[in-house]
Amino acid sequence: MTFTAPPVSSQARSDDRLESMTTVAMRSNLARSLHRSLLVVLCAGLAFAGIVCALLPLGGPSGRVVILFPLVFLAYLCAGLHAWYRRPGNRLGGLILLGGFSVLLGSLINTEIPVLIAVGSVGATLVLAVTVHMLHAFPSGHLSGRLSKYTVALAYVNSLLLQAPVYLLDLEGPLPAMAIADNPGMVAGIAALQKMVGTAVMSATAFVLIRRLVRADAAHRRVLMPLFAYGAFAVVLVPFGAIVLGPVLNFSGEARAAIQLVALGGIPVAFSQGILRGGFAKTAELEELGSWLGGWGGTRSSLRLALARTVGDPTLELSFWVPKLGIFIDDDGNPVAVLPAGNNRGVVEIDLDGLLVGAITFDSTAVEDIERVRSAGQVVAIAVDRERLTADLRESHTALQRSRERLVDAADRERKRIARDLHDGLQMQLVLLALEAQQMANASKTVSDTAERATGLRRGIDAAAADLRQLVHAVMPAALIERGLVAAAEDLVDRMPVPTELEINIGDFGCPPAVESTAYFVLAESLTNAVKHAHAGAVRVELHRSDGWLVIQVQDDGIGGADPQQGTGLRGASDRVDVLGGHFCLRSEPGTGTQISVKLPCA
Amino acid sequence: MRVVIGEDESLLRRGLQLVLEDGGFEVVAAAQDAVELEKDVDEHLPDLVITDIRMPPGHSDEGLLAALRIRARHPHIAVVVLSQHMQRRYADELLAESNGKVGYLLKQRIADVDTFLADLREVIQGGTALDPDIVALMLARAKLSDGPVRKLTPRQQEVLALMAEGRSNARIAAELFLSEKAVVQHTSRIYDALGLALDGDSHRRVQAVMRYLTHG
Repeated sequence: MTFTAPPVSSQARSDDRLESMTTVAMRSNLARSLHRSLLVVLCAGLAFAGIVCALLPLGGPSGRVVILFPLVFLAYLCAGLHAWYRRPGNRLGGLILLGGFSVLLGSLINTEIPVLIAVGSVGATLVLAVTVHMLHAFPSGHLSGRLSKYTVALAYVNSLLLQAPVYLLDLEGPLPAMAIADNPGMVAGIAALQKMVGTAVMSATAFVLIRRLVRADAAHRRVLMPLFAYGAFAVVLVPFGAIVLGPVLNFSGEARAAIQLVALGGIPVAFSQGILRGGFAKTAELEELGSWLGGWGGTRSSLRLALARTVGDPTLELSFWVPKLGIFIDDDGNPVAVLPAGNNRGVVEIDLDGLLVGAITFDSTAVEDIERVRSAGQVVAIAVDRERLTADLRESHTALQRSRERLVDAADRERKRIARDLHDGLQMQLVLLALEAQQMANASKTVSDTAERATGLRRGIDAAAADLRQLVHAVMPAALIERGLVAAAEDLVDRMPVPTELEINIGDFGCPPAVESTAYFVLAESLTNAVKHAHAGAVRVELHRSDGWLVIQVQDDGIGGADPQQGTGLRGASDRVDVLGGHFCLRSEPGTGTQISVKLPCA
Repeated sequence: MRVVIGEDESLLRRGLQLVLEDGGFEVVAAAQDAVELEKDVDEHLPDLVITDIRMPPGHSDEGLLAALRIRARHPHIAVVVLSQHMQRRYADELLAESNGKVGYLLKQRIADVDTFLADLREVIQGGTALDPDIVALMLARAKLSDGPVRKLTPRQQEVLALMAEGRSNARIAAELFLSEKAVVQHTSRIYDALGLALDGDSHRRVQAVMRYLTHG
């Protein structure tokens, strides 16, 4: 069995995967019985073909043409079974088989057994009606719209009823024994009527098909256009071809018949390819969907794929209802607009206990039966509801996370603002005040006592400025603002009162500002802990990057016993790490020193 | 002595200008940002450039980068960089790119007018001026390791700090109320202890001491 890729190849792959997964896990009794039935049809078809071969005058003068009948039948048989196997829910496979048997039926006219000739005469043009039926029913297998239904009915009437005079009223027809009267005039009249009705049927068909082509999207049009063109061509060629091929192009009767038969033989191949190429994947049965759901591990996209497979529409979309916001969201939690039906998209809402939980959007040209979509939706309703609640939870978790991130960002911005304000304001004023004091001391008119006190004042201001520098440094270090994490880490280590080893291996490329400032505060708190609480004699700091993470490791030889739940320093640092989606790991057993290892995402 | 100033805060720019003019310097231009500073220096070719590190437009290290470029373009122009905060990295960058004529001081030092002006004159004459803060930081670090710095006497450590700040023997003597001869004795003992080669040039002396303090 070959699988022809639908237009969207990634979808095809996932469908394939799903298909292999499901065929192993959940081949149902129904599927098995279908396969058995199709096998029986195949055997019966082959047997019929064999019998017809034996009955047809293959050795006769027109044997080369007559042999085409069973061959064309085989083409219908294979194509029909293939389509049926791939899409059990689609009647098109059955229609193709019907076409095949009508070809076989028509071929009986060429046998020499009167009863079979009679049967063949009755069904001589049935294949044309079946082909019209297929054209109207493609791709869903259903006839939609009143015009289609009437046109197809008219086609059957035309080929079964209006064909009758040919064998009932013509003694020179295929089986004179069947004729109940001889009325060549009436035969000719009804033959003309048959042609007129045929023309009307084909006009209506052309109208319906062109309207569908206009409404189809580009991807479907690529499949529909050649198929409709070929089908219409074949239906017109068979009855009207005699006029064109005979007198105009001067073909012999034998060649005409051969061309018409080959044209008929192309129809099933075209339709079955149309089903497969049109992105109409093999559908599964609803009960298969149910059993699959029982063993479902639970990702939302696989739920969508299972639905798509059951309904037979790879473009199917599943959305989840969020009542709180009054919107639908997709697999990834993004809001989606579920448009009302139209534009070749159908919509089915999924309810659970009368409450809306989700919606299925599907290609209404590919799906034969909206009730089938509704049933499939109800089968998965509980799963959809579960997914909806999960999505809801995830959404509020995301909102919480965003708000925590905003808090950290706001804190950083505030720290920067305070540092900058102090730098531009108070620090500068202290320079000017000290300068003023010193100039007062240096002025020639100042008495020595005042000069001394002014110099003392200047020194006092200098000392205050030194304290302020420390404060500004603690709020947001200049090195971090001006040069980034590496410079700031060096600066921190430079100011350590105990021997501190620093190993940095993080390359030139920096991390986002929030990550860098978090890394800095983690480092600052760890070093403060080492000095103030652990009474460490030596500290080792390591900063490196691996696989999209910025890793900070601080190890001391202190007394251990640090607890991030106690005190605010390390606790605040670990909270910040958590907000950024990092990992904070602290080991601090008495006697082994403290090891702090922090990973922050930095892709 | 012709000076170009780079400082974005107008009050401080004015204050600095007054200090310099009172000290006998001629302020030929006062720039408000790093771009303007470089333009003014190229135009006036002063003896000395004094610039803030953090300046518009980025309020980051524009002033320092401008100072380093000025040094590269005009090696004969002395450059003094001022900042509210001392970083060893900046000191390293300034010292590495120069043969003296360089200073790195806290802004607060402007207030101690006499010392500040003396430092400026030292730098113009080819010397170096490093802020006591950064030197103290380096010395504290050096003392943490088991090196010879710990074995120096407190007096020797004081002398070492002043050497690192770029003071001449005469200024060290004045500062510590010692004779110049005593200072020479201290410095040679420090050189012996640290295993440095004796060098009269004050900038090379600063570089040697800083290198020693940085790398042990």
